[in-house]
Amino acid sequence: MTGHSPLRDAFLANRDRIADQHAALLDPGWRSRMGTIAIFGGGIVLYIASFFLLDMSLSNLIGGFRRLADIVGLMFPPTPETWSRFYLYLGAIGQTLSIAFLGTLLAAVLAVPMGFLAARNVVANRLVHLLARRSLDTIRSVDTLIWALIWINVVGLGPFAGVLAIMCSDFGAFGKLMSEAIETASDKPVEGILSTGGSRFAAIRFGVVPQILPVFASQILYYFESNTRSATIIGIVGAGGIGLHLSELIRVLEWQQAAFVILMVLVTVAAIDQISQRLRGAIIGRRR
Amino acid sequence: MDHTVVIPPDAQLAPLLRAYDRAVAAKHRQFFIGLAFMAGAFALACIGAEIDPGLFWEKLGNFTSYFNRLAHLDTGAVVLSDPAEWFWGLRRWTRLLGETLLMAYVGTVTGAVLAFCGCFLCSRNLVSSALLRIVIRRIFEICRTVPDIVFAMIFVAAFGLGALPGVMAIAIHTTGALGKLFSEVVENIDMKPVEGIAASGGSWVSQVRFGAVPQVLSNFASYAVLRFEINVRGAAVLGFVGAGGIGEELIVAIRKFFYSDVSAILVMIVVCVMLIDTLSEKLRHRLLAMDERP
Amino acid sequence: MLVIDGMSCVFGQTRAVNNVSLSIPRGAFVGVIGRSGAGKSTLLRALNRLVEPSEGRIHWDNEDVSSLSGRALRDWRRRCAMIFQQFNLVGRLDVLTNVLTGRLAHTPGWRSNLKLWSADDRAIAMAALDQLDIANLAPQRADNLSGGQQQRVAICRALVQEPDIILADEPVASLDPRNARIVMDALQRINRHYGMTVLCNLHSLDLAHAYCDRLVGMAAGRVVFDDVPAALTEAAARELYGMEADEVLDAAPTGATQPDGVPAGAASNASAM
Ligand SMILES: Nc1ncnc2c1ncn2[C@@H]1O[C@H](COP(=O)(O)OP(=O)(O)O)[C@@H](O)[C@H]1O
Ligand SMILES: [Mg+2]
Repeated sequence: MTGHSPLRDAFLANRDRIADQHAALLDPGWRSRMGTIAIFGGGIVLYIASFFLLDMSLSNLIGGFRRLADIVGLMFPPTPETWSRFYLYLGAIGQTLSIAFLGTLLAAVLAVPMGFLAARNVVANRLVHLLARRSLDTIRSVDTLIWALIWINVVGLGPFAGVLAIMCSDFGAFGKLMSEAIETASDKPVEGILSTGGSRFAAIRFGVVPQILPVFASQILYYFESNTRSATIIGIVGAGGIGLHLSELIRVLEWQQAAFVILMVLVTVAAIDQISQRLRGAIIGRRR
Repeated sequence: MDHTVVIPPDAQLAPLLRAYDRAVAAKHRQFFIGLAFMAGAFALACIGAEIDPGLFWEKLGNFTSYFNRLAHLDTGAVVLSDPAEWFWGLRRWTRLLGETLLMAYVGTVTGAVLAFCGCFLCSRNLVSSALLRIVIRRIFEICRTVPDIVFAMIFVAAFGLGALPGVMAIAIHTTGALGKLFSEVVENIDMKPVEGIAASGGSWVSQVRFGAVPQVLSNFASYAVLRFEINVRGAAVLGFVGAGGIGEELIVAIRKFFYSDVSAILVMIVVCVMLIDTLSEKLRHRLLAMDERP
Repeated sequence: MLVIDGMSCVFGQTRAVNNVSLSIPRGAFVGVIGRSGAGKSTLLRALNRLVEPSEGRIHWDNEDVSSLSGRALRDWRRRCAMIFQQFNLVGRLDVLTNVLTGRLAHTPGWRSNLKLWSADDRAIAMAALDQLDIANLAPQRADNLSGGQQQRVAICRALVQEPDIILADEPVASLDPRNARIVMDALQRINRHYGMTVLCNLHSLDLAHAYCDRLVGMAAGRVVFDDVPAALTEAAARELYGMEADEVLDAAPTGATQPDGVPAGAASNASAM
């Protein structure tokens, strides 16, 4: 052990004594790591096994990437080809935004009473609140696209079905958010109002609503943002908006136009993001 | 005097009330401008989305009758009266549902690993090269803005029908979504440990491994589990465009009006998603309470 | 021997360190004093190269360490261990792993990143903890420890780097007086026992008198005093600390006038050995 620094030699000099005193601490700790190793190992095994279970072969992957490269090559330059098509796509984008806006708005309006029903501190009846919660969960766990398919069967193909689909899937999410916001709202203002002799309704109106309004408003905006994305795809099943054109273009392999439509979607979503971020900042900022 | 608050003479009270009214009026004006704006947007959107309340009322009957049909077998019996007949395809649907879960799993893991690798490279506090940060941020942004089902349609064209395009679509979308969340977590870490590692001669990788990762790991895992939950829902519909999972079976049943099959598959999806929601919520709470053990 | 030659560190308009030249022989225990904002931290951080010096050179035994990069830079950082006021431990890792991060520059990356430390490294880390009487804390998470214990863990991390010089940036400013003594005694023991060079920022003149064999006073980024502690008169100290003088001098009513704290420190040190 020569050639090492005096510190190292000094530390290693009483190695035996330390090994005696702290044997357990010097153990590399395989045993204590067993749990972590098992979880990671299991995860990796499942990951690899999935490739076989899902029929995903390497040759498939490689061949696919070659075709994908071809497709990406065919996308350039993105173009709508004619002006009339450009206006058509622009109109479809407008329809998409309309669907997102109306769906969000209707869901928010419908979710308000439901949120109060599902909140533990407003409705004392356990059964009512449990039932409300469960139905919200059920509605929430069905994807927007599935709702769209169901509504198409009811009101026929077109954007109206899209609005109803977005409304349904958001209704579940909003109801849950709303009830959680109500439950976490401070009950001090409520007590304050009840103590002045106000009714229970007044307590909720003046004690709870002002607390949750900004939270809820900013959530609505956030959902509008994410619904813009959802609304771009519900057209795939025929529920209106730009998705209809997009899926059609991909189906007939019009890659340049498809790329152009994707770009339009990207720009629209980015713009909506910006606007809603500003508004959300304003809503939350003003209340501070 | 039966009031405890003495009401001041009008000359004194009026200006106070007027000042209050003025202040409130400004707020009200703002509110009404907002309301008018909303009403305008609402009207415009109604035209844009071809809303027809008349049609809605007229077809509302369809809605109840549709659910009514969902609740009945072809024979006309209520589905619950003969569960074996209702779930006649249980084995096949379970396999497809399992396939859907595996797709979500593989896609989430792949996306989470890619996001993990990228998030440190696009964090201001760990990487000084603005170019590298911006490039990675843009990639994440594109990955999460394009909906996964659009990726799936493109990949189906390239890779053919099956689970592979679905998994890739989920993986790419997850990379973008988690990459953003992860890098936000990383940008908020305490830099003192990282500096400590740097000062004792650790390489950049070591600084990340020992200074940053222990601080973010539980948060990352919690976000990844949440994403898995979202991806299960997403994977269930990727079959609509031929990208594997139970979605294909569902869309065929809906299009061909096999009502009891539709309700059976929907019940299975809903139960599965709810189960995973509950499990993932429990897991996330445990993860956030736990930290990396040696 | 550490030689600093005309070093400056500029942040925008501020010259945090302004044309500093010093030479510090091996085995010295040098205290850097001055009011807050004088540039003490920046000086130490520049020596470790956490901050890039804007001008000037740093030499260690005739090797220019101010232009190193990559592997060589990391090796230099290993050789000049840093101890921070806020300890800069990884709170969520256990104590032993925190100490083992001092071995990073000695360990291939693939091994350390998988935490596959060699048996020697583990033994060295345990021995360091044992020397500072905290071996029993090895499996605890670092953020469960008291400030004094954390700073001792940080000293262990510095020691297992096998450094040539220890740079301590106000190592006791966040500690209570008793823990401050324990930590300063540990630094002194290392200095005496292994002949380790120690460069230590101190806010308290009391401690500076008690432990250092040389004091460097800084003001506005410049070195304005450089002599044995005995030479620091009360007037000079007042000038050095300005507005903060009362606070510093009141805390050490005897220290400033009676520079016989050194034997006292040595005595307590002897008992600790
Ligand atoms: N990273 C930095 N960026 C800008 N200014 C800094 C930075 N670090 C230190 N400074 C400035 O340099 C001066 C010296 O700071 P510092 O070395 O921390 O002083 P001390 O440790 O003596 O209290 C201060 O005026 C401080 O504001
Ligand atoms: Mg300082």
